[in-house]
Amino acid sequence: MRNLWLLLQRNAFALAFIALMALSLSVLFRNSGAARSSWYRQTGSIASRVEQQRSQWSNYLHLSEQNTRLARENAALRSRLLSMEITGDWRVDSLRGWGVREGTLIKGPDGTPHSFALASPGEDGAISPGMGVLAGGSAYGTVEDVGEAHCRILTLMHAASHWSCRIGRNGPVASLSWDGKDMGRLLLEDVPRHVMAEAGDTVFTSGYDLRFPPGIPMGFVLSTDRTSGADFVSIDVDPAVDFRTTRYIDIILSRSDSERVELALPQDLP
Amino acid sequence: MTVLRIILLVVLQALMLRDVAPFGEWTQPQWALWALLLIPPHSGPFGKLIAGFAMGLGLDLAMGSYGQHMVAGTLLGGVLPTLHRLLAPREGYEVTHQPTLRDMGSTWMLGYLFLSALIYHLALMVVSHWYWHLIPSAFLPALTSAMFTTLCCLMLHMMVYAPERRKSGI
Repeated sequence: MRNLWLLLQRNAFALAFIALMALSLSVLFRNSGAARSSWYRQTGSIASRVEQQRSQWSNYLHLSEQNTRLARENAALRSRLLSMEITGDWRVDSLRGWGVREGTLIKGPDGTPHSFALASPGEDGAISPGMGVLAGGSAYGTVEDVGEAHCRILTLMHAASHWSCRIGRNGPVASLSWDGKDMGRLLLEDVPRHVMAEAGDTVFTSGYDLRFPPGIPMGFVLSTDRTSGADFVSIDVDPAVDFRTTRYIDIILSRSDSERVELALPQDLP
Repeated sequence: MTVLRIILLVVLQALMLRDVAPFGEWTQPQWALWALLLIPPHSGPFGKLIAGFAMGLGLDLAMGSYGQHMVAGTLLGGVLPTLHRLLAPREGYEVTHQPTLRDMGSTWMLGYLFLSALIYHLALMVVSHWYWHLIPSAFLPALTSAMFTTLCCLMLHMMVYAPERRKSGI
C-alpha cells in the first residue's frame, strides 16, 4: 500500500495532466459534433475489427456445439419429413414474395436498454433498412441502418422498439416490447381483458408492420397479470430467440416490398 | 499576479482582440498566451499545468469554443516545465529570473515564445479540424498564426516591461 502511495506521488504530475486532459477532451467531445463523430468513427472501426476477430475465434471454438445443434435440427426435420404425406408438387408462391438471405451476427445486444446488433452483409448483400431478421426461424429484429458490408439491427431487445404480434395464430393483435431489464422477458401490454392466454401459448408476428410475414414465432406466454378491475391485461412473454448465443441470422427479402409499402401509405380520402 | 494577468488577458482577448486577425486564419493571435508564458521558470510544474488549464477554460467560456482552448491550454501547461528545462541556460535559472527580455535575453525569449505558441496553435489546429485529411491544409495557417502570436506577445511585452528597463538603465 505504501509502495502504491509512493508510486502515485512520484507520478502525480503525469496523473494530473492525464486527468485534466481527459476532462478537456470530454468537454470537447460532448460539444463538438465533428470531434465526436471522428472519435466514434475511429473507435467504432477498431471495436468492430476486434469484435469480428473475437467472433471468428469464438465460432471456431464452438464448432462442435453448433454441429451438434445442426445435427439435432436435421434429425427433427427429417422426422417431420418422414411423417408427412407429400401429395402435390412444391411451388413458389410468387404473390407472397418473401425470400430469405443468410447473414452472420458480429455483435448481439448486450442487455443494456438501447443496444443494437451488428451483422454482415450490408449493401453488398442487397440489404436495405426495414427488412425483417430471423434467428432460428423466429423473429429477431429489423434492419435499421446499412453500411457497405455491415448492417445495424434493431432487435426485440431494444427498449424503444414495439412489435406488432398476435397471441396464437388467430388471436388478437397486441404490441410487444421490452422493458430494458431482463433479457428473458418481453411484455405484451394493453391486451383486452377477455383474451384468454395460457402459459405456453405461442406469440406470432401479425404481419401488420410489413417487416415480417404473418405467423413467425416471437415468443411464448409466461404468465398473465390480471390486476383486478383493469380493462386490459399485461402478458409476460419468453422470447423464442436466445439473444445471447445467436450467431447466424436470416434476413427477409420481400420481393414485392415496394408495392406493399406504397399501398400502406396513408391516403387522402374525400 | 499570474491569476490576475490570465483573467485580464482572457477578457481582453474575448471582448476586444478576438477579431484582430489581419489576414484571417493565417494570423489568428492568442493574446492570452502571454499571461501563461510569464510564469517564472522556477515555479512548480503543477502551477503551470493548472494555469494552462484555467486559461483554456477561461477562453472557452468567454469565446464559446467548448473545450478546444482547454485541450490546447492543458497541453501547453503540461509541456511548459519540459520546455523550461530544455531552454534552461547552462548554469540554470536564478531564483529571481523572470521570463522577460531583461532577464533572459532576446534569443531565449523569441525561441520560448515561438515554441510555446507553436505547440498551442498545433493543438488548436488538431482539435478544431479532427479529420486527418483536413490537417495538412491547416498546418501552414497554424505555423503563421504561431509566428503572429509570438509577435503580438513580444509587442505586449515591450509595452509592459520597456519603461521599467529604461528606468533601471538610468
